[in-house]
Amino acid sequence: MKRLLLPALGLVLLALAFYPITGTGYGVRFMLQLFMWIALAQSWNLISGLTGYVSFGHIAFFGMGAYTAGILIVKLDWPWLLASLAGGAGAVVLALVIGWPCLRLKGPYFAIAMLGLNEVLRVAVSYFEGLTGGGSGLSLPALYASVPIYYAMGLVALAVTALTWIIVTSRFGLRLMTIREDEVAAEAMGIDTFRYKLYAFLLSAVGPGIVGGLAARDQSYIEPISVFPLIMTITMIVMVLFGGKGTIWGPVLGAVLLFTLQEMIWARFIYLHQLLFGAIIVTVVLLMPRGILGVLQQRYNLPRTI
Amino acid sequence: MLGQVVISGLLAGALYAMVALGLGLIFGVMRVLNVSHGPLLMLGAYTTFWLFQWLGLNPYLSILVTMPLLFGVGMLLQRLFVRRVVDAPELSSLLLTFGLSIALVNLAQLAFTADLRSVEYLTGSFVVGPFAFSKSRVIACAFAIVITAGAFLFLKATRLGKAIRAVSQSREVAQVCGINVARIHMLAFGIGSALAAAGGTLVAVMVAIQPEMGQVYTFKSFLVIVLGGAGNYPGALLGGLLLGLIEQVSSLFLTTQVNEAVAYVLLVLVLLVRPTGLLKGRAS
Repeated sequence: MKRLLLPALGLVLLALAFYPITGTGYGVRFMLQLFMWIALAQSWNLISGLTGYVSFGHIAFFGMGAYTAGILIVKLDWPWLLASLAGGAGAVVLALVIGWPCLRLKGPYFAIAMLGLNEVLRVAVSYFEGLTGGGSGLSLPALYASVPIYYAMGLVALAVTALTWIIVTSRFGLRLMTIREDEVAAEAMGIDTFRYKLYAFLLSAVGPGIVGGLAARDQSYIEPISVFPLIMTITMIVMVLFGGKGTIWGPVLGAVLLFTLQEMIWARFIYLHQLLFGAIIVTVVLLMPRGILGVLQQRYNLPRTI
Repeated sequence: MLGQVVISGLLAGALYAMVALGLGLIFGVMRVLNVSHGPLLMLGAYTTFWLFQWLGLNPYLSILVTMPLLFGVGMLLQRLFVRRVVDAPELSSLLLTFGLSIALVNLAQLAFTADLRSVEYLTGSFVVGPFAFSKSRVIACAFAIVITAGAFLFLKATRLGKAIRAVSQSREVAQVCGINVARIHMLAFGIGSALAAAGGTLVAVMVAIQPEMGQVYTFKSFLVIVLGGAGNYPGALLGGLLLGLIEQVSSLFLTTQVNEAVAYVLLVLVLLVRPTGLLKGRAS
């Protein structure tokens, strides 16, 4: 089984690498967005799935990346790839500023603080009109680069997943999971919980930051409402929950299933979209809080590092 | 000028306090942050609107319908959904009530369309000396005070209220004392929803009614209970009045758009500086 897994993974990656040659424009854009969701879900998993600290405003890092990259592209004429990486750096700086005070909060208070910060950021972006274009948004110069962005998004998704794998199988990951299970006990065992939580938080901001920059380039237009929506935070959370939080492949699985479902089915029922999504959230929370992989782990005694 | 602002702030604050007391009650008893609190308020507002539209019922009298109606809806939601996440980590309850929230908003869009509605009942202002206050806000404040006082009296003086306070202090001990905790949970959710509904009715006369009108009250209620100290019921009163005051005073200096963020900035600051709230609540 295990010997088959690695070649299978290689095959999938190979197929994805050559896909843009044969794929349609719609197909490439579909995959590009799927990669984006994988990167977002996987990043949320890093902080919330592993340490148990629920980031209810994680999309703030996406928005930060989008605006950092957008401004660099528009005002300073940076190439989009470099600008997106700068977006990742910007998100990490934001995470440091937010995480330093907020990671001391416990339970629902951390979640509410993140929620509030996301809204503060949204209003701040609307306010500094000279830099951000304010409420009317920021238009990027036209550029048709779906295929390069496809590869860039794919690489970020792959990198974040690889990072998760490295963390989950390391002592660092073990410390994070100890914090999740019992923070006081972790502290008593000599784990500097605050430091590790902060590391995890910083790492979880990189992916959304870069992806935010790439998405800004891809859509050529950003506005405060489109890059700081609460519903996107919720979507990534539900993806992780659906696949199995705290696992390596759960967020990937959740993102693939939920995003495909969204594109194939919900797109046909625009008027019922929110209702269906609400129903899915309620179903996942009530019936399978451990997610697909969590259930499989329990039933078939699979390893923790799946 | 300042007198006008202070009084306007207190008028708005009384309403915030009443709505937030509902959220605080649910949080205090079940440790569930009910994200669907705002949408329940929205349902209350629509009920008032339709009763006014179809039957010509006085919007203030319709509070006698909206409160019991949403009390029932709240009990039902608790019974069907929320009950199952009471002991789960906060992620479950936040997500679940968020799911309920968007489903309710979507249902309202389907049933009532997204058109802006208004109850044209009471316009104009009371003029007292140099001050002028819109009539609907003054009456809303009066209703809010009476209903909040009623809720406190209920919590303080009745056996059921005592049981609710006991459960919010310690569920296990309350259970040992023979209190039916499951029933108290349902009741608390019902009362919380009824308070939101009362808010909806009063707001319906003041602002435009639309399916997404509620969310902002969810956030403001979060802020109020954090300000006052979560799980501390008199704290919600203090927090509500403070929020009303601060919003009005800051509106003197800030544009409407930025003023929107004041509540959020305040929320984050209070959480960081004094997570237990002004009056002592429970930190975690």
